[in-house]
Amino acid sequence: MFQPLRPWQWLLVAITLAALAVLPLLSSNSYVLHVLILSMIFGIFASAWNLVTGFAGLKTFGHHAFFGIGAYSSALVALHSGLSPWLTIWIAALIATVAGLFIGLPILRIRSMPHVAIVTLGFAEIVRITISNLQSITRGELGLWGIPPFESFTLPVLGEMKFSPADKAGYYYLILVLLVFSTGLITLLMRSKSGLALVAMRDAEDAAESLGVNLTRHKLLVFGVSAFLVGLAGAFFGHYIGILTPSAAVGPDLMILVIAMALVGGLGTLSGPLAGALVLTCVVELLRDLNDLRLLIYGAIIVIVVMFLPKGLATLGPIVRRRFTYLRAPTTSPAKHL
Amino acid sequence: MTISLFIEQIINGLIIGSMYALVGSGIALIYGTMRVLNLAHGEFYMLGGYLVFLLVVTCGVPAYLAIPIALLAAFLLGALIQRITIHYLLQREGWAFSTIAVTLGLSIFLQNSALLLFGENVQSVPYYVTGIVEFAGIRIPMQRLLILGVAILTIAVMTYVLKATRLGWAIRATSQDRDAAAVVGIPASRIYLITFGIAAALGAIAAAMMAPIYAITPWSGLPILFKGFVVVILGGLGSFPGAIVGGLLLGVVEAVGVQLTSTEWRDVIAFALMIAVIWVRPWGLFGSKS
Amino acid sequence: MAEAPMLQVENLNVLYGDFQILWDVSMTVGAKEVVAVLGPNGSGKSTVLKAIMGLTPVRSGKIIFEGEDLTKVPTHEMVARGISMVLERRRLFGAMTVRENILLGAYHRSVNKDIASRLEWVESLFPILAERRDQIAGRMSGGEQQMVAIARSLMSRPRLLLMDEPYLGLAPKIVSQIAGIIQRINQEGISVVFNEQNVHLSFGVSHRGYLLESGRMMLTGTGEEMIHSDVIRRVYLGV
Ligand SMILES: Nc1ncnc2c1ncn2[C@@H]1O[C@H](COP(=O)(O)OP(=O)(O)O)[C@@H](O)[C@H]1O
Ligand SMILES: [Mg+2]
Repeated sequence: MFQPLRPWQWLLVAITLAALAVLPLLSSNSYVLHVLILSMIFGIFASAWNLVTGFAGLKTFGHHAFFGIGAYSSALVALHSGLSPWLTIWIAALIATVAGLFIGLPILRIRSMPHVAIVTLGFAEIVRITISNLQSITRGELGLWGIPPFESFTLPVLGEMKFSPADKAGYYYLILVLLVFSTGLITLLMRSKSGLALVAMRDAEDAAESLGVNLTRHKLLVFGVSAFLVGLAGAFFGHYIGILTPSAAVGPDLMILVIAMALVGGLGTLSGPLAGALVLTCVVELLRDLNDLRLLIYGAIIVIVVMFLPKGLATLGPIVRRRFTYLRAPTTSPAKHL
Repeated sequence: MTISLFIEQIINGLIIGSMYALVGSGIALIYGTMRVLNLAHGEFYMLGGYLVFLLVVTCGVPAYLAIPIALLAAFLLGALIQRITIHYLLQREGWAFSTIAVTLGLSIFLQNSALLLFGENVQSVPYYVTGIVEFAGIRIPMQRLLILGVAILTIAVMTYVLKATRLGWAIRATSQDRDAAAVVGIPASRIYLITFGIAAALGAIAAAMMAPIYAITPWSGLPILFKGFVVVILGGLGSFPGAIVGGLLLGVVEAVGVQLTSTEWRDVIAFALMIAVIWVRPWGLFGSKS
Repeated sequence: MAEAPMLQVENLNVLYGDFQILWDVSMTVGAKEVVAVLGPNGSGKSTVLKAIMGLTPVRSGKIIFEGEDLTKVPTHEMVARGISMVLERRRLFGAMTVRENILLGAYHRSVNKDIASRLEWVESLFPILAERRDQIAGRMSGGEQQMVAIARSLMSRPRLLLMDEPYLGLAPKIVSQIAGIIQRINQEGISVVFNEQNVHLSFGVSHRGYLLESGRMMLTGTGEEMIHSDVIRRVYLGV
């Protein structure tokens, strides 16, 4: 999975990136850009969640806490200190990392999956309620508004990068760069010694433990990186949307959305969460008129994917391929005698 | 604050705690027998509330009939859900995670089905009994005493079932060792089905009793699910008696905590207690390590 | 044609995932016979018994018991067919009492009658369990736990008893006690198949044995024949 890419895969990645890069030049439809920006925010979130849940085997359900912490930290620091969002998103990501390590330590002590699930859910609820209750600072459910946007600047070829509701190209390129950064970081991490140890031991933790492999340090590293990336995505989200409420930025709905994305795309794969984020964000937008049904459909998608496509859309690949090869070569030899 | 007001708050905490205990014991039963963490458990509570509401308010059925009907319906719904989802997942690899994920999906699905069916209006049910009991300056509404009474009765019946009936023995045996239970002739999949149904019914009892004092909304399951989680962590995940004690304890801690801070911090107190317990005694306050 | 044996296992293949554990395993057990399955750790002994009991899925092969193919029978119905099992490492219901554990042995409807006489019978085999009836099973010594496990498996009055390493981790004195019990059970007309790693222990009370190595049946015969065979020497002594 983390072997160096083969030439045709490099080509595919390059074509995708090139297509994404030129897209704003071809279409100035800000609605299309908006959908893609959201897809990429969720793409980072889902990949980072997948890093912990799919690769490191720590099934957490509270990553929306880091999204909210990132979003509110960056917004509040930028509002009160006057620092540029270009700087505060990184400060916010670091704050999310600290929170990640803070909750990561106790859950790494616990080996039981349900305990981890409960603690992480509970932690996120604490964060949500706290943000909601600290009205003097966060304005609670009334919403924190007036979050400063990124300052615009001028690039040689592309011209001025504006960050405004009307011209989303700046946001688009920034989140694209952040997405590439995040995917690169995840790939590097998973190819490192820590990543290899985790993937090798993911499904055989007891065996690994009995071999004397201490996974705690590796897991903590992965957890911290994951919280960092989710915090970064959250911070960007705040400056992009311009208004934050606890239910939108730290609500359990957010986590459910991201879980659905990762499951649909395929847990434990690099491209799955990205594909899932794109597919589901588009589905949401298509269902805009059916807003009441949105979450109903999410729930149904999660159930259906878990029941029938346990590896996500990737499950369909082999099925289709098998059909295909069967049609072409109906006389393949039977399975080895057993 | 006067002493009697303080005692009143403690008693109220115990009463609410007895409902937490019923919800938590359902989570504990499911986890104890099939090692499944049911994130849709709050929705059994929520749907139980709506069932009672439909029967009592919409159809005019008297409460003493409506509640047993709602219980039965919740039992059947729980069993059905188990049969079409968990049952299959338990036979596959990676079931520990896939069962959590599927119950998460079910939770959202049921919540939003309720939203479609019943709308987002807050519903409630009239008091089953009225009046206030006064004793040494402590005032407790009859409705709350009824809640406590029903909780005690339910816990007594469940304890009897688990200790002294064929079904209860089968549940306990299966939860301690599934293979050994199968060898002596206990069909695990049927026990799982029944356990899920019982757990759903326990949630529905709590909902029925709370319906007159807490609002029924499509989202009322989520907070109670979180309370249930705190309860099972306090009592040791999978322990029925642990969940009962954990529920009462949580009720009292919240009541005292709210006196010391304010109502909006109630849930934070509960979760902080839970994380503290996980930190020092992951196997629960009352259980033993192994 | 001789009468068919009570249990007949033919060309059994078992896989865990893609990993094949048993390769074309065949064996027979006659009525009132004690058969030992001998093999080193990890050779697949437990898997053979679990496959017979339906605790592990079978890829191919037949398991015929008294004329019926067991491969489609679920584990919880085995008791009704007359088969019972003592699992490896006892596997008691640790939080329940000795008496509750034993009574659960007669849980299945087909055997859930004459409880008093069944109890009397198993407690005559293990008098100490009558004294310890209210003790929590998980808190007893290994030897006592093994007795509870055997007592539980006998409550259904099986015709065939499968025992997975009944001597595992027991003191020598207890081992000979359990061996005596196996003989007693057999005298009552019950066939017994038990697993064992130790050559000498396995042939103490058995009429016949099988040698399993790396998932393949290598050898069968009486204890006398097997002890002197080259295969056993190769497997156990590496010569
Ligand atoms: N549930 C399982 N999943 C995968 N492999 C297993 C499982 N149970 C046993 N094995 C493997 O099957 C082989 C045979 O195991 P077992 O039948 O328990 O051997 P024995 O009882 O002779 O010690 C061993 O290599 C063991 O590692
Ligand atoms: Mg074995």
